[in-house]
Amino acid sequence: MKKSRTRKKTGTVENAHPRKRTSPSSVESGDSGTRTFRQGAISIFILFHLIAITCWVVPSQFPPVRAIKELVRPYMLWSGLFQSWDMFAPNPRPVNSYIKAVVITQNHHIHVWTFPRMEELSLSERYRKERYRKFTDVLPEQVNAALWPDVASHLARYFDSQADPSEHVTLVQFSTDIKPGADESFDPVPKPTVFYEDYVQPENLK
Amino acid sequence: MILKKLRETWEDFFFTPQSPTPIALFRILYGMCVFATVILLHSDWLEWFGVHGWVSLSTVTTVEPGVRLNLFKVMPQDDRWITAFFWIFLAFAVLLTIGLWTRFSSVVVFLCLTSMQQRSLFITHGGDTFLRVAGFFLIFAPAGAAFSLDRLIRVRRGLEGPEIPPRAPWAQRMIQFELALLYFVSFWWKMKGNTWPNGTALDYVIHLHSMARFPLPGWVRYPLILKVGSWFTLALEFCLGVLIWFRRFRYPLLLLGLLFHLCLEYALNTPMFQWDILTAYVLFIEPADLDRAWRIIREQLAKHGNDRQFAV
Repeated sequence: MKKSRTRKKTGTVENAHPRKRTSPSSVESGDSGTRTFRQGAISIFILFHLIAITCWVVPSQFPPVRAIKELVRPYMLWSGLFQSWDMFAPNPRPVNSYIKAVVITQNHHIHVWTFPRMEELSLSERYRKERYRKFTDVLPEQVNAALWPDVASHLARYFDSQADPSEHVTLVQFSTDIKPGADESFDPVPKPTVFYEDYVQPENLK
Repeated sequence: MILKKLRETWEDFFFTPQSPTPIALFRILYGMCVFATVILLHSDWLEWFGVHGWVSLSTVTTVEPGVRLNLFKVMPQDDRWITAFFWIFLAFAVLLTIGLWTRFSSVVVFLCLTSMQQRSLFITHGGDTFLRVAGFFLIFAPAGAAFSLDRLIRVRRGLEGPEIPPRAPWAQRMIQFELALLYFVSFWWKMKGNTWPNGTALDYVIHLHSMARFPLPGWVRYPLILKVGSWFTLALEFCLGVLIWFRRFRYPLLLLGLLFHLCLEYALNTPMFQWDILTAYVLFIEPADLDRAWRIIREQLAKHGNDRQFAV
């Protein structure tokens, strides 16, 4: 009871004068030495993360920043603290694009798969399918080439059947340049670019 | 002398106890955002994370090498386990929101969130990233010290009184730092391009078909408005990254930021991103102001029931 009265007093003082320092003894248990040690350890933890996160995230080529970034890379990747804040930056995407896949079976049937396009979905569907927007934005990029065989296999499995197995998959990006200042009537024909095509290996259909 | 002053400022900023109501309120909003994020993935959960999903776990491991916190790597590669992971994740998001076993729940939510993103980084957006990094520091915060079932239980057992004990805010400060850094670095990145400084960036953004949500009024499309809008975005991101730390600018900036994100929520198809970011705004509200608001709510509620049940 006495303890809670002390806490009440501390809380009132803190609320009235937010910058006034309050004795930690009113809120933390343990003797002064333990408290100092604990506070020191937390300070090191804080300082390390302030430096590591800042150096990781700033788009600076300053050598010491790059050196620290390399130093902390294993920890940032392991802990899940890696991050980047480059939304619509340095420039927004200058193109509208979408992806289609063409799957050809052994009996020469042609299946066309269109990844969900946000502009063709209802509002609620857009909330649920938004991940496809991100996925189709990044998938054609060369740095993600390692993902293409998996995506092709996934689509091949989707259209596969015992009677008519999938044989060949093509991934095509359709894109149109954005013309700043253009009105709604500006609607150029999308330009197709094949960014992946290959035959399906039987083991990938399992 | 300078070192002593620095040390005092450091201790004051990170360790001077304050009411944990901002971080507790953040926990609730954060938990709701995590819940919404997970539930929105429900229909395509196995498409993204299943054994036969769009991208296999082995490919992800090749593309993103290194030791990473990823429960998918240790869990049996079986869709039943992966479905169970979904429900466990969702359950702990609820527990975190209501503040039951808060510390443990925050650890589980962070582990699940990190694993989910490590498994499918190619579908992760900025809002997810913010939830992940904020979730890391939330683990260390006294997030269950107010507005929680944990506190209600402690009050019922007589372990705590009706007043919420103040706590060191260092973990809250780290989440605040993350939010401010997010804005500042966004500003920095934009300044490295040419479309933001020359004012044409928003012209591109509003023409991205996949991003458009609701129709924009005609006057928004005027080149001058788009130019001013691009520069306003730069100015606001800079201010929210830097001036937010100064008390006199804080509330006006939070209000501008709120309006900015609500406009983006209307105009752009970015499910959850705006809400994920806005959750952290509550951390910049003075605890005294939050406590005052909470006291008024309690007084109003107490008129209609037992005051004890509102002591959480």
